[in-house]
Amino acid sequence: MIPVATPNLTAPHPSASHPSAPPITQARRRRNSRTLKGVLLSVPMKILIAVILIIEIYPLVWMLISSFKTQAEFLGKSFWSFPADPQFSNYVNAFTVGDMGHYILNSAIVVFPSLALIILFGTAAGFALEVMVFKGRGFILMLFLAGILIPGQMILLPLFTIYFQTGLTGSLWPLIITYTATGMPLTVFFMATYFRSIPKEIFEASTLDGANIFRTFWSVGFPMVRNAVFTVALVQFFFLWNDLLIALTFTNSQSLQTIQVGLLNFTGNYGQVSYGPLFAAICVSVFGTLVIYLFLNQRVMKGLTAGSVKG
Amino acid sequence: MITTAKGRLGRIVPAVAIIGTGALLLAGCASGSAASGSATGSAKFDYLGADTNTEISTVLTLMSKDQCSSENTAQPLSVGTTPGTGVDQKLQLLAGQNALPAISTASGTPSLMTQFVEAKKIVNITEALGDESSNLLPAAQSIITKLCGGSDSYVLPTEFNIEGIWYNKKIFADNGITVPETWDALVAASQKLEAAGVQPITADGKDGWPITRLIGNYIFRDQGADALQAVKDGSAKLTDAAYVKAADAVAALGQGGAFGPSVGSIDYNGMENAFLTGGAAMMYNGSWTLANFNDPAQNTIGLDNIAYMPFPAVTGGKGSIDDTPANIGIPVMLGQSSYGTNTQAWIKCIAANYGDLALANGGVVSGFKVTNVPTDLPALTQVVQAKVAATTTATLWFEALFSPKQTTVSQNNAALLATGSLTGEQFMQMVQDAGQ
Amino acid sequence: MKSVLGDRRAIFALLGPALLVYSLIVMVPIFWSLGYTFFTGSIVSGFTPNGFDNFVEFFTDPTAWSALAFTVKYAVVLTVGQVVIGYAFALMYHFYLKRASAIIRTLVFFPVVLPTVAVALLFQQFFQSAPTTGPVNGFLNSLGLSSVDWFGHADSAFWVIVAVDIWRSMGFYAVLLYAGIVDIPDDIVESSRIDGASGWKLLRHIILPLSLPVLLSSVIFSINGTLKVFDSVLALTNGGPGSGTTPLTLYMYQTSFTYGDYGYGSTIALMLTILCLLVTVFIFRAQRRDLTKA
Repeated sequence: MIPVATPNLTAPHPSASHPSAPPITQARRRRNSRTLKGVLLSVPMKILIAVILIIEIYPLVWMLISSFKTQAEFLGKSFWSFPADPQFSNYVNAFTVGDMGHYILNSAIVVFPSLALIILFGTAAGFALEVMVFKGRGFILMLFLAGILIPGQMILLPLFTIYFQTGLTGSLWPLIITYTATGMPLTVFFMATYFRSIPKEIFEASTLDGANIFRTFWSVGFPMVRNAVFTVALVQFFFLWNDLLIALTFTNSQSLQTIQVGLLNFTGNYGQVSYGPLFAAICVSVFGTLVIYLFLNQRVMKGLTAGSVKG
Repeated sequence: MITTAKGRLGRIVPAVAIIGTGALLLAGCASGSAASGSATGSAKFDYLGADTNTEISTVLTLMSKDQCSSENTAQPLSVGTTPGTGVDQKLQLLAGQNALPAISTASGTPSLMTQFVEAKKIVNITEALGDESSNLLPAAQSIITKLCGGSDSYVLPTEFNIEGIWYNKKIFADNGITVPETWDALVAASQKLEAAGVQPITADGKDGWPITRLIGNYIFRDQGADALQAVKDGSAKLTDAAYVKAADAVAALGQGGAFGPSVGSIDYNGMENAFLTGGAAMMYNGSWTLANFNDPAQNTIGLDNIAYMPFPAVTGGKGSIDDTPANIGIPVMLGQSSYGTNTQAWIKCIAANYGDLALANGGVVSGFKVTNVPTDLPALTQVVQAKVAATTTATLWFEALFSPKQTTVSQNNAALLATGSLTGEQFMQMVQDAGQ
Repeated sequence: MKSVLGDRRAIFALLGPALLVYSLIVMVPIFWSLGYTFFTGSIVSGFTPNGFDNFVEFFTDPTAWSALAFTVKYAVVLTVGQVVIGYAFALMYHFYLKRASAIIRTLVFFPVVLPTVAVALLFQQFFQSAPTTGPVNGFLNSLGLSSVDWFGHADSAFWVIVAVDIWRSMGFYAVLLYAGIVDIPDDIVESSRIDGASGWKLLRHIILPLSLPVLLSSVIFSINGTLKVFDSVLALTNGGPGSGTTPLTLYMYQTSFTYGDYGYGSTIALMLTILCLLVTVFIFRAQRRDLTKA
């Protein structure tokens, strides 16, 4: 039995294309998961999962340990070694000499408004392109999709000129604007995909009930893709937070630098690096974002497992 | 009705985009004309430094409060920084908008500096200083003019470094090695050290330059101080046997194991650390490294244990062991669009006072005349200061006259040469090709 | 009803902001840069038109060809790696871990969070052979093998970059693909189990076809990302040794901003864009043909 998948790029609503399944009894389902084979399989799986987790988690621990090392320990001692005398001064240096507090603030000022705009504009555009009916929407969707194809390095010089001529240079606006624009293709693409998987009848019913289109978007459409919004927001957050190229090009004074640009400050003229303070700064940056990640992540995962995206 | 409206929207959007593009493209191309500033120059004396160098901003700030306070009243100093990594890109973008700051870090890429000079984006320092050009050391001036061409200076030499080989006296003594004065003696010493289980030379293969410097110096010692100028002028090629010989000599040294294992993975810190913890007998480096030597936390072999030796001579060569490889680090330049009489006053004040202040404040040897040598300078700094003052013929480095592409190719392939993955001929061919 | 969903003012208000900011900040600069492909010169010294010389140069420039070869090799290997491993994780989440998978998903996703600078420093230490021996070489040594100078040869450096990027991104693709697999209704899977399909057969005939659309989105997303690899190469190897690990994006950046030839840099970028377009169209068409056969 081969089900016929729709030739869409995006996830269709699968049950529509599938022949009806025979009813399943609860007893059968339970027996299935408690077989001897199932238990045996779970032992190597558990080992595998443990190995995976070590590979994923150890780097975090290593960075934390490194942030307490002296320069000599970092260069001369083995990868596995522990600092003989934990250097808390590395953290002090990161904030005093490295001025990390300032950079973190700049990053926050830039990233959160950009994120809000990306979500608002992107979701609205995705809604318009999938739910609304008008000619040329295929073309516009392709236009947005084309943005995924283009190397980001290409827009730097023209943008520098635009921002300079319009007098925006010297503020954080160039970063906010550029981030918002470069976040569009992916967001519009994903939001359009999610809206496509929601039966159109829902929106039609809403408009029949007398709601205008903005109300339909805001109180019917937006809540239905709420979990998709969190997913996209999470992905975009890390793109923006970890961006170096755009931030490096459009910040022209130390008072505007973001955290990733700030991390470069620990490298000297001839390639010297102050490793301890650098790792201290990285740890501060990472653990800060980790909190945000855990918060957003719970929403995303909760939504996915509940299956509410299915509409 | 609705259908036509949708159709119109579909057509309008691309049209607007195309019209917008055309207009902006014209604006982009028109940016070549110079903006005219006022006669006194910009309102502020803006300094844009690489954040990798805090010395210059410190000295300028000191000056603004003391020796140059009247200049500072007329045009107040304001300090800003940009990450060292993106300096070239940033300077080009600013110059394209005629918006170079009053004073800024220069580019480390000589050919880009030549572009700035030719496009009249930066101030002619020789003209601005007039008679007070005498405050620049002759050796520094000769380096500047060699780099940018012509006879005038376009940068202020806020650093002056000599280069050479620093060696560990104790390791030399323990192994019965006398300071090598010829390349052959250096190779012999290296073999002897290696036989004794000591790494002869540590080199930053990741950045490449400590290896290509050896090639350049070998060429200068062998073919004379003008040998690379001849390549630039086109009267010689890097692939000529006389030049390939230098790359082969360095490759042979490396294949003998002189640079230790995995030289391509060693970065600048790794090189310094190996030398300063006694892990290697020699290190090729510039005198800026004194800052590391003078730091007891990094230097565990002791300051007294380190000595400087000039790059050895090549037997039968045209160059002299007394020619000193030197550079002016990353100097500062002045943007033409912000220039005026107030800026000129600042330049004169900097030229008159920078040498003394930099030496007294951070022990930095600059390319400005020093009138008072502080008595409490560390011994090695005194050696360097004396050597700088006595230098008349300074040689450049291997890539100094290369195009940026040749420089990148040279430094990126240096480690491959040193580990024997490339022959001298292949290496020189690649660098030569990158220049076309 | 139809007129409400077709209200042009509403369409304009909803679509307008996104389209405006995207056109001005992304599309306009792209066409602007494309204009430079017919010019030579730099931002500082000004531009002069040179016809199709930049295109001729691209096709005769050995560095461009080797950058292209690296880019394609990297993109193919990484796309396959990312999607296959990500899919394996997604299957594991859904069919083995089930509800307990939330914490594992969170932890596996974690490397996506790390800044590139930190990742590069970590793996340079990890694969280091000198001055100290890193864990990878330590492991080789313990097996009686000698240390490998991972960053000293283009071939080994390539695999290090691939390993690092797969490590970084697999959690992301796992979550993306998981979302597609979760969408498959349980009753379909259960009913085919009752029909006797299990293990590989179940995967081949039920799960794979049903998650094909999201799998395809992932492949397109991945190939377009990997063809434009920049940060991780820049931070890990800076394109070296030699130019052995230089992708087109890095070569374009160097040409534009280090070598001072913005016109040629734009030409390289255009070629890369065309490559991305061709690959994407190819994947779309291949998928269509595949479906008509089935």
